[in-house]
Amino acid sequence: MATKLVTIAFDVMGSDHGPAEVVRGAAQLSLESPHIHTLLVGDRAVIDNALAETKHNGERISVQHASEQISMTEKPGEALARKPDASVSVAARLVAEGEADALVSAGNTGACVLSCARHFQLLPGVRRAALASVYPTRARHGDKDDPFSLILDVGATVEATADDLVTFAVMGSAYARIISRNENPKVALLSNGTEPNKGPRQVVEAHARLASLPGLQFIGNVEGVDIPKGTADVVVTDGFVGNVCLKMLEGVHETVVELAQYAYKESLRWRAGLAMLSGGIQRIKDITDWEQYGGAPVLGFDRIFIKAHGRSRSRAIANAGKVAAKAVSHELGKAIQQGLAR
Amino acid sequence: MSLPDRIDPRPPRRIYRWDLDKTYLQTEFDSLRDLLRTAFQKAHEKQAVPGASALIRELAANGDSRLCIVSGSPKQMRSVLEEKLKLDGVVWDEFVLKDNVGNLMRGRFRALRGQVGYKLPAILESRANAPVEAEEVLFGDDAEADAFIYSLYADMIAGRVDERVLNQILAAAAVYPDEAERVRTAWKKIPVSDPVRRIFIHLDRLTPPAHFSNYGPRVVPIFNYFQAALVLLADGHLTAPQVIKIAVEMVQTAGHNIITLSNSFQDLLRRGLPLQQAAAALVQALEGPNALLQALRPVPDIISAFTKRLAALGTPPPPPPVQAVDYLDLIHHALPRTHKARKTH
Repeated sequence: MATKLVTIAFDVMGSDHGPAEVVRGAAQLSLESPHIHTLLVGDRAVIDNALAETKHNGERISVQHASEQISMTEKPGEALARKPDASVSVAARLVAEGEADALVSAGNTGACVLSCARHFQLLPGVRRAALASVYPTRARHGDKDDPFSLILDVGATVEATADDLVTFAVMGSAYARIISRNENPKVALLSNGTEPNKGPRQVVEAHARLASLPGLQFIGNVEGVDIPKGTADVVVTDGFVGNVCLKMLEGVHETVVELAQYAYKESLRWRAGLAMLSGGIQRIKDITDWEQYGGAPVLGFDRIFIKAHGRSRSRAIANAGKVAAKAVSHELGKAIQQGLAR
Repeated sequence: MSLPDRIDPRPPRRIYRWDLDKTYLQTEFDSLRDLLRTAFQKAHEKQAVPGASALIRELAANGDSRLCIVSGSPKQMRSVLEEKLKLDGVVWDEFVLKDNVGNLMRGRFRALRGQVGYKLPAILESRANAPVEAEEVLFGDDAEADAFIYSLYADMIAGRVDERVLNQILAAAAVYPDEAERVRTAWKKIPVSDPVRRIFIHLDRLTPPAHFSNYGPRVVPIFNYFQAALVLLADGHLTAPQVIKIAVEMVQTAGHNIITLSNSFQDLLRRGLPLQQAAAALVQALEGPNALLQALRPVPDIISAFTKRLAALGTPPPPPPVQAVDYLDLIHHALPRTHKARKTH
């Protein structure tokens, strides 16, 4: 069966490493994935200069000029109102108009989500969109032996209702099924105890409804300790708790790296020990390499949006494009709708 | 009325010079295995680059032109290569192949891989027999030294390169003395004129286009022959319906589609090629009655795709400035690439 052609719009102007890094990622994608076309949205002169110096396939890349950009420090609502030709806004509009099938951006998360909210429609049955994120775990998941689990929401909906949590569970399950090739992902609610009656009212209510939802492998509640263990393939919570968890995981990772650096400098004996462990450390680095995942999806809209990390390098951008193309090809939106209809 | 006592063919108004491997044929010769496979391929097994044969046929259809092929393939492959060209409906006027066996027998190992000492005298000798007013368009690829050799050739016959610089180039390119003498002899026979209009470089290895910017706007790196056809439409060598024919062949035989074609079109616009009028002519031709278009998608879709790609860019950039080429600075482009260099490009 011929692979469906997919066009991915890239907001070129958002990355911490500058537009050229996003252009290089898209260029890499044009060489690796013949079925993916890229639409680069941003300052045309900057894009052209970067493309001219980068190995790419010009048959698979087009450019849409956008004269403005939104920085990481700007307030999303104000910035979007002040800058109607901002690259993220133009890119979202082009996706909404069907010029591209999905959007990838490494820019200001708030501006990205707000642009999507303005141009895309929420899927029937979805009240609030959810920002999902992948994190490394001890357990492996799905057919790909994926070392990552999915947590949602991590910031789009600060206070989620029981309805929202059930919707997040269905959306996260559909995403894991398609992207991680995990046919029957284990879904859990994050709470302060595994018993069904533990946690705030909305979590208890969501638990009761998820337990009787067909087509979803709901394993009940999990606690914080289960997150890095990978007890569940999909962890469901509200945006406030999810964001705190995610930031803590990132903090732990950074602390471990700093401790290793400290140990390396402190004593020759420790350095020798680290050298002996280098193979193992590299292996851990490989399996926790978030760049191979590229980005995190915003789930709930009728169009696909993958939020790449602000510090994404070209490989992460290219992988975000592949994830977006996979979500489009496997009709993620339809899969979510089918889950919600049950 | 008296009849002329001889009927000579009309002198060519235009000369199209083609390389063969990686320019016309999809050839792999980076490894010994590739070389062997290429050597034993039958004519019908050889694949032409999409759109190449259609482009050659359309250029020939306008009459008053010559097709001169200078290929680095060995002379022993002549029959199979000629058979392939005939299968594709390509009619040629000159077809020069490299005497690799002769070079090997004489111990001229540098000549086996060197291109300057082979191609430069061959095309200069061909030009020496051409009418002074004949314009030229040259086609090469990014695998070897085509951009360098073709640009040097153009600037030599236009009088923009002097003998001192030429000698330095020939020495730096390690050209054998007899080949260097052929270059000088042929060059002296050619009246000074400036006939080379375009040099197309097929990006077989997807070399970044900026790699060729030092050669100036005459050299146009292309990802496919639809791009060459668009530039030749703007230059007056082809008509819009002919460009559509080439596009149709690429759609029918090589899996191109409206997205790859419109992206290719926009890519040239972004590089500053003045194609706005060519685009208008193309749209006009698409709107006219043309049975060929049934092979593409509905005509409004094609026009819309092209118009959108054009509009997406806002104000067109200025064309790249004309510049003098510093051949001694670019001599590394003319030297055979090492295996490592081929991989990195």
